[in-house]
Amino acid sequence: MTATVEASYGGTPSGPPGSAVLAPVAAVTIDGEADLLRVRSALRTEAQAAGLGLTATTKLVTAGSELARNILRYADRGHGVVTVQQVTAGHRSGVRAQFTDYGPGIADLDEVMRDGFSSCGSLGIGLPGSRRLVDEFMIESAAGRGTTVIIAQWDR
Amino acid sequence: MIDSVTEGMLIRLDATGVVASWHAGAERLTQYSAEDIIGRDISILYPPEEVASDRPARDLAAAAQAGRLDAEGWWVRKDGSQVWCTYIVTTMRGRSGAVHGYVLSARDLTERREEELALRRIEQMVDGIADYEVIRLDSQGLIRSWNLGARRLTGYEAAEVIGQHVSMFYTDEDTRAGQVESELTAAVREGRVEVEGWRIRRDGSRFWASISVAPIRDDSGELTGFVKVAKDLTERRQQEELVQRQRDEILELSTPVIQVWERVIVLPLIGTLDSVRAARLTESLLERIAADLAEIVILDVSGVPAIDSGVARHLLKTVEAARLMGTVSILSGVRPEIAQSIVHLGIDLEGLRSRASLKDALQLALRMLGVVGGDSDTGGRDA
Amino acid sequence: MHEAVPILRVGPDLLVTLQGDLDDLTVEAIEREVTAEVTRTHAHGVLIDVSGLAVVDSFVARVLARIVGMVRLLGADSTLVGIGPAVAITLTELGASLDHVPTALTAEQGMAMLRHLRSAGTRTLMRHDSNR
Repeated sequence: MTATVEASYGGTPSGPPGSAVLAPVAAVTIDGEADLLRVRSALRTEAQAAGLGLTATTKLVTAGSELARNILRYADRGHGVVTVQQVTAGHRSGVRAQFTDYGPGIADLDEVMRDGFSSCGSLGIGLPGSRRLVDEFMIESAAGRGTTVIIAQWDR
Repeated sequence: MIDSVTEGMLIRLDATGVVASWHAGAERLTQYSAEDIIGRDISILYPPEEVASDRPARDLAAAAQAGRLDAEGWWVRKDGSQVWCTYIVTTMRGRSGAVHGYVLSARDLTERREEELALRRIEQMVDGIADYEVIRLDSQGLIRSWNLGARRLTGYEAAEVIGQHVSMFYTDEDTRAGQVESELTAAVREGRVEVEGWRIRRDGSRFWASISVAPIRDDSGELTGFVKVAKDLTERRQQEELVQRQRDEILELSTPVIQVWERVIVLPLIGTLDSVRAARLTESLLERIAADLAEIVILDVSGVPAIDSGVARHLLKTVEAARLMGTVSILSGVRPEIAQSIVHLGIDLEGLRSRASLKDALQLALRMLGVVGGDSDTGGRDA
Repeated sequence: MHEAVPILRVGPDLLVTLQGDLDDLTVEAIEREVTAEVTRTHAHGVLIDVSGLAVVDSFVARVLARIVGMVRLLGADSTLVGIGPAVAITLTELGASLDHVPTALTAEQGMAMLRHLRSAGTRTLMRHDSNR
């Protein structure tokens, strides 16, 4: 059973097809703690390239840190992939990042995305919080099939 | 438009030129049904003067010699009317090399001629359009027509672009990302695609364009190309950026933070707060706190018409963020209606200090800082 | 002397500077060294400067809450300093609000706060829900 929770303040994470220009992707395989640094670094680099302000960048990097850490902690042997790229849609530019893990997946997405959900160290910590930090947030997960989160942060 | 053999008629003649098989398309073209014509000589389709000069036999002989004959000529329909056709005769040989028969395909050019004339009329019309680029691409994306608007927009003359691929106007990033292909594919799939994007002029400068691409199909539904309409939006975009900049400036002006004492600042909240404005407010307030090293911030809400749960939420977030930085917040200017709303909404302001007037709030602030004597609310500053 | 984290003595207080990225090993080392120093020096207060941290996410917030908790159990007060506007907004949105941790704008204010807490004679043991 796949549950999808979509929260966007402004469209899908990659913008309407045909008008979004996607730049080359930085991909980080998540195997250990050191990879969290690389994820943050990639996010910072792309945020700067996209012209995001300090607050937007900080929120993006923090959300990315949360999501990458989730992969490390809960995915099968901590495996997952994070991709980061700059995006343009119209006259806005921004950063899009995808977090995919091959872990146990989330059985009840609605529960986990509910504010105030506290699972005492289990899956889903930081998800509602991360969602609040970014302009666009999409999550797909199914029990036994891993989780994918896509986020996007725009310059305006 | 395109020369598609399958669109015409395909019939078989035996080695002597007698019709051996017929086709629905052939019937449409000549009005002869299969019954009418199978077993008859092909010369029945030729005009009398051609038959007199032995044209049918000469065509077959030419086809036999060269393997194939391409020709044009008048054909006579069953009702006697004539049509101008282009036809191809192909020889079928056996393994020994002997002629087994012929395959004949023909296309009525009268319609095509009219189509061509109509197209030319449209093109002349389109050519005169100066404000829009209206051009035709073939199914591969090569440019097949140009117009005045296109010339004005891009600076290219027709001779420089006809036969070139449309990606010549796209930026390198777009081309690399396969933007052209995805636009054309989307046009075919959706029937039309509209995008905005950067395009490049002849002189290398960029312009922001609104593009519309639609597929062109022939009668059988085959894709024969695309029509592309483009308009320069740079001016409009510059306008939008200007408006946005002005909006930002107005936002700046309408959130004045006032330093009323050393280490005490006041933020008068004026008017309604939408999410965007609230977020900007919080950001600029926190930046002022950092810049002024304000230990106390007074949030004055006397200018806020009403408090709903959204406003209250933004307020609490601001207070919390300020606290994380080490600053204490005091709410001031709370009118009776506001006090009622807050309680009715069930909003817990979590120990946020509050005063009815700015003066009272300031007095409290100074007491807390130890500037003036008297009771302060608490001995410590961590709520 | 201090491998994982710079710890400076300022009068009766300690100034702990957290920098860069915090991985599990570093966190363990920090906790070990801070608790050891507080005990060794009988420090009355600990000022934790976080301005040098690469990111402050919910993990870091939990780490900070834990350190503050440990220090309190040892009888000392603590104060956080160095949270800038961007981090403040981020932590608020994350909901990792560090409610029970006192904060200060500058090191000076932080030290003053610790002095104040000291003179008020409050040494409180506080329970932490570090799983928030």
